[in-house]
Amino acid sequence: MGRTLITITQLLTETEANLSAFRRTLRRSDQYVFDGLFAAARRHIAAIGQAESLLPFESALLAMLLEQSKEIAVLEQKVEELIKRHD
Amino acid sequence: MTEAIGWLLDVYVEEDGITLWLLSDDDRRLRFRMDFDITFYVAGDFSLLRQAWIFLKEKDVRLERTVRRDLFLGDRDVMSVTSFSPAHIQKLFSELQRQFPSLDYYDVDVPIALRFVAQTNTHLLGRCRITLDEEWVDAIEPLSTPWEIDPMPIPLRILTLTPDCNPAIRNPNQLHLKYGQREYNLPLDSPRLFMIGLKADLQCLDPDLILTDYGDTWLFPQLSTWSKETGIELNPNRDKDRQVLTRKADSYFAYGQVTYRGAQSYLFGRWHIDRRNAMSFGEYGLEGAMEQTRVTGIGVQEMARKSPGAGITAMQMLTALCKGVMVPVQKQQVEGTKTLTELIRADHGGLIYQPLIGLHGNVAQIDFSSMYPAIMVKHNISPETVGKEDVPEGLVPKTLRPLLEKRLMLKNILSDLNPRDCRVEILKARAAALKWLLVVCFGYLGYKNARFGKIESHEAVTAMSRELMLQAKEVAEDMGFTILHMYVDCLFVQQEGFRRPSDFAPLMNAIEEKTGIPIALEGVFKWVAFLASKRDARVPVPNQYFGAFQDGTLKYRGIELRRRDTTTWVRKIQLASLEILAQADTPQEFADLIPNVTALVERAKRELRFGRVPLGELIIRQRLSRAMEAYRTPSPAARAARQLQAQGRQFAPGQSLEFLFARNASGVHAWELEEMLAPGMLDTKRYFKLLDRAMQTIFNPVRSHLIEEQLFY
Repeated sequence: MGRTLITITQLLTETEANLSAFRRTLRRSDQYVFDGLFAAARRHIAAIGQAESLLPFESALLAMLLEQSKEIAVLEQKVEELIKRHD
Repeated sequence: MTEAIGWLLDVYVEEDGITLWLLSDDDRRLRFRMDFDITFYVAGDFSLLRQAWIFLKEKDVRLERTVRRDLFLGDRDVMSVTSFSPAHIQKLFSELQRQFPSLDYYDVDVPIALRFVAQTNTHLLGRCRITLDEEWVDAIEPLSTPWEIDPMPIPLRILTLTPDCNPAIRNPNQLHLKYGQREYNLPLDSPRLFMIGLKADLQCLDPDLILTDYGDTWLFPQLSTWSKETGIELNPNRDKDRQVLTRKADSYFAYGQVTYRGAQSYLFGRWHIDRRNAMSFGEYGLEGAMEQTRVTGIGVQEMARKSPGAGITAMQMLTALCKGVMVPVQKQQVEGTKTLTELIRADHGGLIYQPLIGLHGNVAQIDFSSMYPAIMVKHNISPETVGKEDVPEGLVPKTLRPLLEKRLMLKNILSDLNPRDCRVEILKARAAALKWLLVVCFGYLGYKNARFGKIESHEAVTAMSRELMLQAKEVAEDMGFTILHMYVDCLFVQQEGFRRPSDFAPLMNAIEEKTGIPIALEGVFKWVAFLASKRDARVPVPNQYFGAFQDGTLKYRGIELRRRDTTTWVRKIQLASLEILAQADTPQEFADLIPNVTALVERAKRELRFGRVPLGELIIRQRLSRAMEAYRTPSPAARAARQLQAQGRQFAPGQSLEFLFARNASGVHAWELEEMLAPGMLDTKRYFKLLDRAMQTIFNPVRSHLIEEQLFY
């Protein structure tokens, strides 16, 4: 209701639209991964908003990194379990 | 001197004073007159005030110089203008404002009922004792307050009038009358006989409330036409000196959509409510409208038709009048200047956490009770107090406190009652009516036209709510819970081994202690599914979920079942599917029940293919978002409207259209067309698509649990 600034959801949609030429040039398989980065950022909309930053996309990049680190941690755990089971 | 005791039904203005209607304890409907002076205030440049004084000296008013309080500016030197004729106040003000537009005006457009309530300390629908000098009121004494939890019920006489069809589609043949246990029909083929019949019934029954379907848009205008045609005078008012008051139809933009409101017919001495033209009547009915009338001071006829926003504005005006604060005609407070960083910090809504997509078992939903109003009251957030410390209770918290307390008490009573108790429905309606007043109150702090609004106070409330939600999250995480979702004022939490409501009690106590805002357990879900975006399965969508509580009750938000534009057919099947799934106690059992659901869907599709689904269940309802000529590519609703326009019907933005998807050139068939849709012309494929979409919503969260052949698409 009557907000002056755009919301983080709008910001991500706009940024994604601005990068449409970039995305188009990527291979189809890379496009899927690219969309995944934005999906990762969208999981942290509340946190990006709370960061109250002048450049919210910086926080969005951090959110993407965070999701990646999370995925790596999960994979590491799985690898460890597999190694243990193999031993 | 005589005396009368009873319920105050109505108050309205006359040339000289006001009229009151009392339903007395001996079951009489009494009309009284009362002298009632009206005062408004003018402030501003001194030389202009002097000129205004000279201008007004010629009029029949009393002028005084005095000091009154402006909510934001503090005490002001003002000219008070007192008129003895309430009916003339608007005209006098218009003249004055035309002459002196730069002066500030206060207390001009306060409704008469509010002035009356503030001055006499009584309330509409409340009990009072009136001392009389013939028909003139000498003194009035309140015998109840609007905050009573269990007000003495008013023995209202209610007459219900319903035509046998929607008059916008075709002419009704008869009018159905219901009064107490009696029900009968009046034929409409002869207006003369009908008018004689209705007139006799009104005289004999003398109802306090005429409850109609299409009374605003059809019956009352029609009565006036027939009255002229037949020469039979029928005045539906109890006050025979008055005629029916008609307000024109309009379309307006509110809460993000265009809404259409038909013309309205108001009565004097008794009430008329058109159930089809009353905004919130469907939500909480007559009991709710009466509850709002008690606390807001706006008459029942108006309250039933108006938005809760009008109600909360009235309550704020009432608080102002009682506190001796002047009510400005226009909003004066604009947004204060802010740096960009300050704006970025302030300009936020509530905290919305993206949920963890998928199906989860044993999840508790915890809600803050009336969070925003509770914040306003606890932290004294009001337009005039924001940013200040150690100041007296502000206007908004003062208005809200009793409302909040009353709703909480009603809810407590409700939670102790057996669901089959006959009082439950009425209490629920009253609690819902109060809830709506509380809900809109927050929005009005930031609404550009609200008289007692200031965007900073609105922002202070959301900022506080975000802080409290984060505190709740931290408390929950400290105690080992996983936060699955947070949405403005509710949290979904889960922890291995926690399943009974009592398991979550320590968490609730800890949150309540930390935040100071009451919190309630909505329930523990056996399973709940949080949904992903239809566009990208990796993106979660806030506030879209469905789940089953431990007692099997379903709760769903944001899915097709909740959407107004979903057909009954799709809605029924989606609900039946969820009911099957509600038997599951765990996510795995949920997946095991999917074949039963797919069988149900296949059966439903067969029924549709063989034409065994009643067409009424396939109706699509959509609103016209603009005027017909403004459509470049007409929506299905606009195409349906065009079909009806060809038959002479007119449409305004906000009006809603009903149609079927059809295999014809325009793709739709307006439901109100006289000719029925030919068999075989129904666009079944389109309906299958709608159903598949709705079913996808239900299957998606468990895709990973399912093997390929369990999915039928």
